[in-house]
Amino acid sequence: MEAQKNELLQKFELYGCFQCGKCTGGCPVSLKSKLNIRKLMIEVLLRENLGNMIQRDELWDCTTCKTCTLRCPRGLEPMDLLIGMRALSVEEGHIPKTIIEALEGAYKYGNPWNAAKNKRSDWANELELKVFPQGGKAANLYFVCCTAAYDTRVQNVGRSLVQCFRQIGYDFATLGNDETCCGSEIRRMGEEGLFEMLMEGNIESINKYDIRSIVTTSPHCYNTIKNDYGQDGLQVSHYTQVLAEAIKDKNPFSGEMRKAITYHDPCFLGKQNGIFDEPRQILQSIPGVTFIDFDRSREKSLCCEGGGGRMWVESSDQGPRLAEIRVQDAVDMGAEILATACPFCLLTLEDAVKTTGNEEKLRVMDISEILVEVL
Amino acid sequence: MEVIVCIKRVPETAGADIIIDKTGRGIEKRGLVFDINEWDNYAVEEAILLKEEYGGSVTVISMGPEEANETLRRALAMGADQAIRLTDPVFEGSDGYAIARILSQAIKPLSYDLILTGVQTEDDGYGQVGPTLAEILEIPHAAVVNRIDGIEGGRVKVHRELEGGLEEVLDLNIPAVLTIQSGINEPRYVSIMGIRKVAKKEIKVLGLSELGMKPEDAGQPGSLSVVERVFFPPVGEGAQMLEGTMDEISDKVVTILKEKGGGA
Repeated sequence: MEAQKNELLQKFELYGCFQCGKCTGGCPVSLKSKLNIRKLMIEVLLRENLGNMIQRDELWDCTTCKTCTLRCPRGLEPMDLLIGMRALSVEEGHIPKTIIEALEGAYKYGNPWNAAKNKRSDWANELELKVFPQGGKAANLYFVCCTAAYDTRVQNVGRSLVQCFRQIGYDFATLGNDETCCGSEIRRMGEEGLFEMLMEGNIESINKYDIRSIVTTSPHCYNTIKNDYGQDGLQVSHYTQVLAEAIKDKNPFSGEMRKAITYHDPCFLGKQNGIFDEPRQILQSIPGVTFIDFDRSREKSLCCEGGGGRMWVESSDQGPRLAEIRVQDAVDMGAEILATACPFCLLTLEDAVKTTGNEEKLRVMDISEILVEVL
Repeated sequence: MEVIVCIKRVPETAGADIIIDKTGRGIEKRGLVFDINEWDNYAVEEAILLKEEYGGSVTVISMGPEEANETLRRALAMGADQAIRLTDPVFEGSDGYAIARILSQAIKPLSYDLILTGVQTEDDGYGQVGPTLAEILEIPHAAVVNRIDGIEGGRVKVHRELEGGLEEVLDLNIPAVLTIQSGINEPRYVSIMGIRKVAKKEIKVLGLSELGMKPEDAGQPGSLSVVERVFFPPVGEGAQMLEGTMDEISDKVVTILKEKGGGA
């Protein structure tokens, strides 16, 4: 354990931390969880050894939204320290059962939802998509994402996106059943070895079909392929970037929508990659739409708690879900549609609409779904 | 405390499309994902917990082709100390009795206090290997063990899960065979790094002659039972498949429940 402590000390430059507390101040779960990232930084530094620190339940409360790291005035990486501690816990093997199931699913079936590999492309059965492994040729790879492929709610996002791509004449093919999990959440749950395995598999496919450009449904796939895969020369886009660019000169989505719409910034798209404007440009381009922004928007956006493996583990805290706060804020400012551009945000926010009893007042929609309604 | 655990690599059939193979006596295994038999995973974890408490070592044994190494390595990564794989073309087609005989030949020369197996396997599900192994080795056994209280003075105290929510406490002489029920513990996660660390660890391989057996002792000739055929039972009446969107299906379910007198 002492060696592991020293490794964390060196790797995350813990001596550099002057305990200003901006990390904890910005942490969306710190108000309700025992997790205190500032304290964690100094505890790892001062303790003789890590002992049972890595067994603390609250380590799994972090959503890896990265606010702590982005706000650190010393340029340190508190989020990565936390992931590093999860990694030690993963190596010991004593981690929440639901996390084990997600990791084993990603290993066995190539997705953390434990769904059959040969059913990955069933969502697109009647869409007649081009598929690279079946000889399809296209300028861009559409990387679907495990959640969009298997979750019956999010499948509608994939199908809507296909319609949007066709409307703007965007040339794409998928990897069909050969697509495997991008590994974003796997890495953030601390399973670095499995992440590398999944990444290598995807890079092999990218090279095999000579793919130069990828568009993703999910900001999580986007972030990890763009920033973690280290593939120079590979163009990676989130779908909102592709659509925003396409509607710049001539908007093929000409229908009208007389609705008040607000937009929830997914952390992996906004905070972590600075994509704030494109989703707003798309929504504001729709005739009839009244766009209202959250007070906590863009860099200040409140996390929905869907990232960092939190789709597979319940938090240890008893406080309100942040997605519920988000939904209530949207209702209070008179929004009729809460738009987002991430499968996890879509699911957590939609659940929150149900748990807060706002089903009559607010609809949660992915931007692609809104566009299909104004085709 | 010397513990031996017998484990098996099995295909995962839940949620998969199952096709009966050409022989009509088995299923098409191509395209299926394989993993350690779920009950065996609990047995390996229990053995490691015993080692952590009482010291000693854990040996895992599996009968199967080279792919079974994957399952043995996983057990080594969990904390087992030695691994043995039993393989021979004539082992193919062995029933529970023949498998127990093959395992017993591998186990006889070893020193051991406990032998753990899973209650049953996910694929064949006979639940025979553990008890038969105990009979062949002429040692006591307890089946469907859901708790090990402790080991003291050459005896082990275990809980067995019975029907109707009952539990039985048994006190046995060791060495003994225990067939382990799922849920007895929480098997630890095995990381990819963990598996890589044991990649070079030796797996001892034993065939028919090393086990001192004759071809007629294994496979179909050495078995007491023969699989005649496997088939999907005919679909019964009373099931209704609902189609439509999630909302339409939900509405139909509510209507049916109301019609049948539910949802008051």
